[in-house]
Amino acid sequence: MPLVEIHGLTKEYEKGDQKIVPLKDVSLAIDKGDFVSLMGASGSGKSTLLNLIAGIDAPTAGTIHVAGTDITKLSRTQLADFRANHVGYIFQLYNLIPVLTAYENIELPLLLLPFSSAERQKRVEIVLEAVGLTDRSDHYPSQLSGGQEQRVGIARAIVADPAIVVADEPTGDLDAETSDQVLDLLQRLNAELGTTFLMVTHDLKAASIARRRLRLEKGVLLEPEPPKIAKAGKGA
Amino acid sequence: MWKFLPYVAKNLWRDRTRTFLTVSGAAVAMFVFTVVGAVQEGMASLNRGTQTERTLIVFQANRFCPGTSRLQEDYARTIAKLPGVQEAVPIKVFMNNCRASLDLVVFHGLPPKQLQKIRDLKLSAGDWPSFEKQRDAAVVGQSLANRRRLSAGQRFSIGEVTVTIAGVFTATNAAEESFVYTHLEFLQRTPGISSVGTVTQIEVLLAAGSDPMAMCRTIDEKFRGGPIRTDTRPKGVFQSRAVGDLADLIGFAQYLGYACVVLVLTLVGTTTLMAVQDRVREHAILQTLGFTWQCIFGLVMIESLIVSLTGGAVGIGAALAVLSWNGLAVGSEGVTIAFSTSPMLAFIGMTATSIVGLVAGVLPAWTAARAEIVESLRSL
Repeated sequence: MPLVEIHGLTKEYEKGDQKIVPLKDVSLAIDKGDFVSLMGASGSGKSTLLNLIAGIDAPTAGTIHVAGTDITKLSRTQLADFRANHVGYIFQLYNLIPVLTAYENIELPLLLLPFSSAERQKRVEIVLEAVGLTDRSDHYPSQLSGGQEQRVGIARAIVADPAIVVADEPTGDLDAETSDQVLDLLQRLNAELGTTFLMVTHDLKAASIARRRLRLEKGVLLEPEPPKIAKAGKGA
Repeated sequence: MWKFLPYVAKNLWRDRTRTFLTVSGAAVAMFVFTVVGAVQEGMASLNRGTQTERTLIVFQANRFCPGTSRLQEDYARTIAKLPGVQEAVPIKVFMNNCRASLDLVVFHGLPPKQLQKIRDLKLSAGDWPSFEKQRDAAVVGQSLANRRRLSAGQRFSIGEVTVTIAGVFTATNAAEESFVYTHLEFLQRTPGISSVGTVTQIEVLLAAGSDPMAMCRTIDEKFRGGPIRTDTRPKGVFQSRAVGDLADLIGFAQYLGYACVVLVLTLVGTTTLMAVQDRVREHAILQTLGFTWQCIFGLVMIESLIVSLTGGAVGIGAALAVLSWNGLAVGSEGVTIAFSTSPMLAFIGMTATSIVGLVAGVLPAWTAARAEIVESLRSL
């Protein structure tokens, strides 16, 4: 059974007199451990789809099953619990909490879960090491470079061992060299930890690390590109 | 929820100037609230006391300021013989100011042996034998001693009156602690006052079961044809009349207290709302991580509560310290109203600031908790 199963997903909203349909009858399945990239032009609906899967937006129609739960049926509070337990989110602009250190930022999602203080510490230390920032744990976001901030963001997304990590343009605000480092990291986490990734990106190079590449055009999900292209990526 | 306290504290520290200004504003408002509460508490306790309801004050008819009331001292002996009278004490009152004042010093000159019969005083310094033996000796109330930095053994002057302090007393009635008790004869013979044989008032302690109003009529009737007519009233009525104008002002001051509470509410509410508006995106990030809206609501409420309680604690603590240290009392016509500090006053103040903190936080907390995540993530 796929980890994520989407059927007939439509999202509509009104802007003035206009009806906007960022997603139209989208169906999709993502297997556990997969690395999926989602490309498309601006306004094609890729971030909307990502947000719907992450449970921070609600669809107009359709169902989204993640880890066996139809999240479209959950209340606001249940959705929050669902996100805490099953979803990691990597933002384009890192979105770290500025008053918290790298360590505290990473620990934040764990505070919502029933972990002891020792368990939280252990997990944070492991992911800090995984992202190569053990020596920066007491640094505040303002004391980190963009690449380091994004690595903290990635650590925060994976620390609770979520079912799926969604990444919204994770390299969109980074220079080429740092982007490569971040993509290497995501690929390594997928390969070594088996973390399932869904990554929205504009960048062909970023998309190439995914095992599976999807494209959205005007709210419609196109057939996945041929597997041979996916295999050409680093993560294949 | 308490796991997030460091985060809340760091947020308050992040905008420390704003936090400091709000806490300061709340502190000043709660300082005023406490001072108003203290004077109201003093007013309420003015007529409290086990003997007040069976104590009468005999004053010269148609006189108001103690300086103008001159009764024959032997009226006290006549009154003492009336059935139902337990004690009649002639008192000479001398004070530095007959009008309303924040630094009223009132001397009560009375036979030293009778002082302890009609007053429940406890000496915190000095001793009673010294007071009774020495003609110019005086015992001074703790509030006055604090205000004027007086201690036992010291000499103390107001105008022509100079006394030697034989002791400092505390009393069950806070207003008493602004008085100086000295010997009647000494005060009567003080140059400039020189009123041997006359007193300002006679304090009458009734025996249990006596009817105060009937006794007032009896006393006034007794001296109707005498050289000086009297006006006798229960002590509570006498004191209330003496501080009548002040009582109106103090009653009005309660609105000042309410205004202070509203001020804290507005200050804390505005600051918390501004903080929430500054962190729209941050709250959306927290919700994305899995924080429930109830959790976000709680975090903002705690923030509001901390600001309010900190301001309240500082303001109330400062007010209590200043009032205790200064022993302030407001008085008129020889009757003083002490600024009474008590644990209850602190409790009421802290309860008020807690409620204000919670009420002030509701709107900002609701705004933060119910914001749409995706829309908020797009905000700058």
